Amino acid sequence: MIVGHVRGHGHTLPNPDEHSKSHWFGRLDSRAKIVGVFSFVIVSALLTSAELIAASLVLAVAMATTSGIPLRPLSKAYAAALPFIVLASLSVFLFAGTERGLEMLGRTSACVVALLVLAFGTGTFDLFAGMRRLRVPSVISTLLMLTYRYILVVSEEFSRMRTARRARGFRGGRSLLDRYALKILSFTAGTVLVRSTDRAELVYEGLKCRGFSGDITVWRTSVLGRNDLAFLAVLIMSSCALALAQTEVMRW
Amino acid sequence: MHIPDGLMDPIVALVGTVEFLAIVGSALALSSRKTREKDLPRVAVLCAGIFVAQMLNFPVGGGTTGHLIGAALLAIMIGPVLAILGMTVVLIIQALMFGDGGITALGLNGLNMAIIAPLVGWGVYSLVHPISKGVGRAGDSIAVAAAAWASVFTAAAACAAELAVSYSVSDGAYGIAGAISVPAMLGYHAVIGIGEAVITVGVVAYVRAASPSAFLRTGVSPPTKTLLVRLTSSKVAMASVAILVVFALSLPFYFLYSSSGGDGLEQTMEDADVGERDQILSSPFSYGDGYFTALFAGLLGFLAVALAALGVLKLLGRGPKRD
Repeated sequence: MIVGHVRGHGHTLPNPDEHSKSHWFGRLDSRAKIVGVFSFVIVSALLTSAELIAASLVLAVAMATTSGIPLRPLSKAYAAALPFIVLASLSVFLFAGTERGLEMLGRTSACVVALLVLAFGTGTFDLFAGMRRLRVPSVISTLLMLTYRYILVVSEEFSRMRTARRARGFRGGRSLLDRYALKILSFTAGTVLVRSTDRAELVYEGLKCRGFSGDITVWRTSVLGRNDLAFLAVLIMSSCALALAQTEVMRW
Repeated sequence: MHIPDGLMDPIVALVGTVEFLAIVGSALALSSRKTREKDLPRVAVLCAGIFVAQMLNFPVGGGTTGHLIGAALLAIMIGPVLAILGMTVVLIIQALMFGDGGITALGLNGLNMAIIAPLVGWGVYSLVHPISKGVGRAGDSIAVAAAAWASVFTAAAACAAELAVSYSVSDGAYGIAGAISVPAMLGYHAVIGIGEAVITVGVVAYVRAASPSAFLRTGVSPPTKTLLVRLTSSKVAMASVAILVVFALSLPFYFLYSSSGGDGLEQTMEDADVGERDQILSSPFSYGDGYFTALFAGLLGFLAVALAALGVLKLLGRGPKRD
């Protein structure tokens, strides 16, 4: 249902719901995944020694390859996140030497890979429901669910408008001085917003009819099984090991 | 401008996260239960609209493109409190679904794009707008343009300052040196800001004409008017507070910088001693000054845009009328 051809920041929308139940990672409880991956990412972001960074990178890549998530979209999304990381590493290369630059590259890569595995290996609404059950404020989680749902609808409309624009010979303009192009672009954005607000009225009435009172009740209930606990234990233990090793490094 | 994990110094990220949570918490408290229920679907759909509008690339020139941030647009349409929540949601979706920006950096990204950008946008708009009444539609456009440009520029300045402070606090293990981050971020976003301003003006004018009800009416003043209520419901006072908050948010980073600055600075200077080439590269800014340069540039950009807006308004309206 999600369109694969919409580009955001120059890459395609992932479709986590497509394969999310076909591999073991997708079948885990979303709370275990959130807590496990978050703690891993937080610890990995703190590492400073080259050996530990390499270890966390190996762990992240191992998680990616064994999770059974299709690797092509994963690597594509990683490539999309790359320019900013490379810019940062490049400046470190220039100012603080090659070693530091490589460390930065490895550290950010490990975090991005782990996050992407979480994003691609979890059904979107499972993820939000998991956040909800982890006591994220209901306004935020309700807004997240509604917004994500409507991003799909609005972006489909947006890409239709873009096709129509292109069919009429619009090529995106050349520079900021191109008044015609900027006028077209702002009308496009304006139309997106106007149609969104018109739809919002209908959405509100529809939700009202279904008993909405400012909160979305999560129906997905699951208990933490043996697999979830094992996964959580492995990730937490490796995060703790990395953190301990890091404090050892700092003491030296 | 999405900062990934592992780029920022942990302490800087921690300070940013604390500030971010504090502000989002107060925004949650401010949006009362009643507004929430009625406006939630609309805010959600508008956030989706902003998310999609961020996919809209505009030409900058020389074959490069930039894209909207939309914080000022959202703040003008639904008010600062809901805009903060809305932009936060957009950022969370970008971080969790698309790997754009990290978890440990969510606080800093939120600070730049979900708090500083909408607050500055709304603040500048509310300050310039009342003065522009005598000028008509052009005056409104100027207020919107100033708001959009200032929001992008200030957010970029904040991001550059965080990068510079990370770099000097961590002796170069994290962040980007001020000599690179400040000119790169500010130069690029000063231009991006122009695109953002032009498109935001177009969008606001279009939405005003096509569907005026899209603008949420915020700040309906209650009938009982004590001095305090009148003061707090005055838009100018609130806008000034919003802008003061933005500059107050940068203070902890300043303390962070100055507390470990001396030591870190010398260390960085030693670290930088890699070769002659590097010395030349770093000559425009001495290392530790990155934070101040960015902060100063942000302040300067903000003042410049406010003065420019005032000047243009004066020219257009033969003296602004106040009422």
